[in-house]
Amino acid sequence: MINRRNLLFLAFGTGFGFLLSRAGATSPAIISDLLLFEDLRLLWVIATAVAVGAALTWIAWRLGWHARNTGKPISIPHKPFKRGLIVGAVLFGLGWAGTGVCPGTALAMIGEGKGFALWVGAGIVVGSGAGTWINRRLDQN
Amino acid sequence: MDTFATLIDALFSPLWTPVLVGALIALLAFTQRWLADQPLSCSTGFANLAGYLRPGTTREPQGDWRIVFLLGIVLGGLIAALTDGAPAWQGTAAEFGRFYTALVPESTVGSAIWWLVGGLLIGLGARLAGGCTSGHTIAGVAMGAPASLVASAVFFAVAVGTAQLAAWMLGV
Repeated sequence: MINRRNLLFLAFGTGFGFLLSRAGATSPAIISDLLLFEDLRLLWVIATAVAVGAALTWIAWRLGWHARNTGKPISIPHKPFKRGLIVGAVLFGLGWAGTGVCPGTALAMIGEGKGFALWVGAGIVVGSGAGTWINRRLDQN
Repeated sequence: MDTFATLIDALFSPLWTPVLVGALIALLAFTQRWLADQPLSCSTGFANLAGYLRPGTTREPQGDWRIVFLLGIVLGGLIAALTDGAPAWQGTAAEFGRFYTALVPESTVGSAIWWLVGGLLIGLGARLAGGCTSGHTIAGVAMGAPASLVASAVFFAVAVGTAQLAAWMLGV
């Protein structure tokens, strides 16, 4: 459906996909360079993104900047410690090392015409569905 | 004029200076929080997509923006590939690099299964952990969330450990 929020997020996604590509994060060779400590360019991308993000978060909190849509101070939501956090993070790390792909870069790779990323993307969709189901079961107990 | 030409060249180069891209990603992610009060997130959108594709589920339109965001990433990748002045992806050994060329099975069926199972682990893991390298690492760590710090540390430790071990076993 076309509305302001969706158009805004289409633009954000486009920007993010473009930047992931220019970062080199969509190249399996560059991902393996990172994981094998042969070329740390992606480490600097991630470290800078986190550091600048943290600085902006702090400034916004300190000066009480308001979000445009809510009119309230920009929220700083912390993700919860899910019961499956450690197991999930281990599985994610295995999949990431095995393919050189993560959920965001899989999509950018599909856009770049990297055919193998379609398989990875399909796997992520099915895996996400299974994970949602398991989370629901874990939350019930 | 020379500065302009240099800027245009830089725009169309396939790889930008890491610190510049990192800062731009942070700015984009922060703009999203400023305009929509919503931190960067990828894997949750995949979960919504999985929900929509399941027969018999009713779609909740208020979560549509997550999927639109995912579509945007595809579009961004396309624009980047069309403007980098490099030849289109062929899937050669040089493009995959030494490590993935040695790791992934050579046959068409074998490699398809490999990528699919890898994707399964990524999707399942991200859901159980409650986020991925976008939501936990880039957004969560920048906001100082303890769960995101732990998840990110495990992502990297396991990925680095696995890759190093596999590289050693494969002798690459």
